[in-house]
Amino acid sequence: MKVAVLSFAHVHAAGYLRLLSRMPGVEVIGSDPDTGSAAPGEVRGRAFAEELGVAYAQTYEEAFAWGPDAVIVCSENARHRPLVELAAAHGVDVLCEKPLATEVADGEAMLAACRAAGVRLAVAFPVRFSPAYAAVKAAVASGDAGRVLTVSGANNGAMPTRARRWFADPELAGGGALMDHTVHIADLLDDLFGDARPVDVYAQTNNRMYEGEVDAETSGLVTVTYDNGSVATIDCSWSHPRSHHSWGGLELTVIGERATLEMDAFDQSVHGYSERNRQGLELPFGADLDERMLRAFLHGPGEGGMEVADGEGGLRTLKIVAAGYASARSGVPVAVG
Amino acid sequence: MTLTMRIGLIGAGGIARAHLPGWLELGARVSVYTVDGSAEKLAAEYAGREVAAVSSLDELLADCTAVDICTPTPTHKELALAAVAAGRHVICEKPLALNASDAEEIAAAAEAAGVRLHPAHVVRYFPAYEAMQQAVERGDLGDLAVLRFTRGGARPQWAPWFGDPAKSGGVIMDLMVHDIDIARWIAGDVVRVHAQTRGVEHTTGGTEAEVVSATAVLTHASGVISHITGLWGLPDQQFRTTFRIAGGDGLLRHDSTSVPGYRITAQGVRAANEGIPSSPMTESPYLTELREFAASWEDGGGEPRVSARDGIEAVRIAEAAVESSRTGRAIGVRTGIQEVTR
Repeated sequence: MKVAVLSFAHVHAAGYLRLLSRMPGVEVIGSDPDTGSAAPGEVRGRAFAEELGVAYAQTYEEAFAWGPDAVIVCSENARHRPLVELAAAHGVDVLCEKPLATEVADGEAMLAACRAAGVRLAVAFPVRFSPAYAAVKAAVASGDAGRVLTVSGANNGAMPTRARRWFADPELAGGGALMDHTVHIADLLDDLFGDARPVDVYAQTNNRMYEGEVDAETSGLVTVTYDNGSVATIDCSWSHPRSHHSWGGLELTVIGERATLEMDAFDQSVHGYSERNRQGLELPFGADLDERMLRAFLHGPGEGGMEVADGEGGLRTLKIVAAGYASARSGVPVAVG
Repeated sequence: MTLTMRIGLIGAGGIARAHLPGWLELGARVSVYTVDGSAEKLAAEYAGREVAAVSSLDELLADCTAVDICTPTPTHKELALAAVAAGRHVICEKPLALNASDAEEIAAAAEAAGVRLHPAHVVRYFPAYEAMQQAVERGDLGDLAVLRFTRGGARPQWAPWFGDPAKSGGVIMDLMVHDIDIARWIAGDVVRVHAQTRGVEHTTGGTEAEVVSATAVLTHASGVISHITGLWGLPDQQFRTTFRIAGGDGLLRHDSTSVPGYRITAQGVRAANEGIPSSPMTESPYLTELREFAASWEDGGGEPRVSARDGIEAVRIAEAAVESSRTGRAIGVRTGIQEVTR
């Protein structure tokens, strides 16, 4: 199976390339011709592929000429659409980095293009492959937890601009932390709640942590009400210290009528301290969620039966984000379009 | 203090029982009054100590330095106004009242009478919260940006009035008001509130466990944003509070269940959940609180960290959160602004 990673703009590109290159039966190439958004010092393009020991295509056309069975789009958020449309034009299944797009209209166009071409559009939400989430889902689906009343979620990370400057460029990223981090938990709830749909969104943001350094919002709290009666509040802030040895994490508390559930998708680590490095030592031993997601995308659902998020789901979470930005601007709850 | 401090304790429930040992530790003589005869029972438990039940409010008010109101919220105003009229300082359990206008009325009466009004926002005296607030005040975290607070436990079953929102104000007004106060303490006044409540707000008293949970987002005048959640949960829900305070220069996290210092890991039977959190590790925060209040009654005794204004504003924010939860709208509030007219 041949897989091409298109663009190395997103911080996840390296991880995907590494995982794919060690998957049996998978051939991988990368292509990153459009590196204009890179800040000085960011390694991109052929040099990046060489660092990872991955074959490189000089242009996207060259990558498609190689005949990939699937592509993974890792361009800047606002540049997902042309690459997804290119994949559709070549009749190749595509896994698109989250968020699906920065504008709902772009997302709709991407869905339409893939539908018309008969290619699969998936969106990269790895956390739904967490065994902890599977346990939450089982407790809710079986009825053991009762009706879900409230959900508190936190997806906090370090501001990713040191690795990739464009993440806080509203033009390319579509915003800041609200765009980057709301969708992971929104996707979990999209899956957890089944047919239930978001009704309205109240969001408040600020940029008090990085004022003067970036223009985008770096803190955000997003409250989403659903038509099944549940309400969720998501902390999407880039509030994890940048000098911390870990990137951040994702936590969820689900309060049901008959059970209270808590998950932490990334807490399985051995913790210690390194005298040699003079900093905390952390040895993660939990499941590799990106690997599970890639396997499900390439080979179909595994034992747990979890599917990769589809374009429709990606569009629904994008609509929550769009309503969130409208709410943050207006200070009132905004209906989800 | 030359004379023995005399405290008139009104109520004999959970908070009264948390305060009473504190008063005795401070060397006070305590008279207890309740409307249901439970004062006698409480005094009997403290036989041989300086605790006596009295049979009327007038008797209590006639002989005390300060009145400590540990009764259901709807009774606070009448009792506080009576204590103020008798010229007594007032310690009043949180929330001061079910609405900001009643809270303002109590505070205005106390100010006019020249007596102190101390809303008992005891979480400010819990050592972890105190340490966090001091770090924030020192500037260790830089400019604050986004704050999270959680507070939850089993639904209070020991006093049915908690299950009636008309009396307790519900989970926002009774429970989350603690963290509303802490958020305002460290991040300043609040301009906008949005909240949602789910589950059974009004208990029916049936055999089914009835869970209620709420989420609130506060926007502070500074631009800081705070998320507060509250839970009156299932009978086996362990009492737990957490905070996560993020600023430009750092982060502080706390989980009350992760650092108890001491814990019982087995005792053969499942323990009943405690109503009032306690720890063998540090002085009771209730004692710390009462000592600070009592000190302020003396010249040069310092200002307590929680003021009457703080108690009023916590109620004002909680009231807005309740309104938001009811209407689904975001509610604009103006805390820290003295109301000019009544």
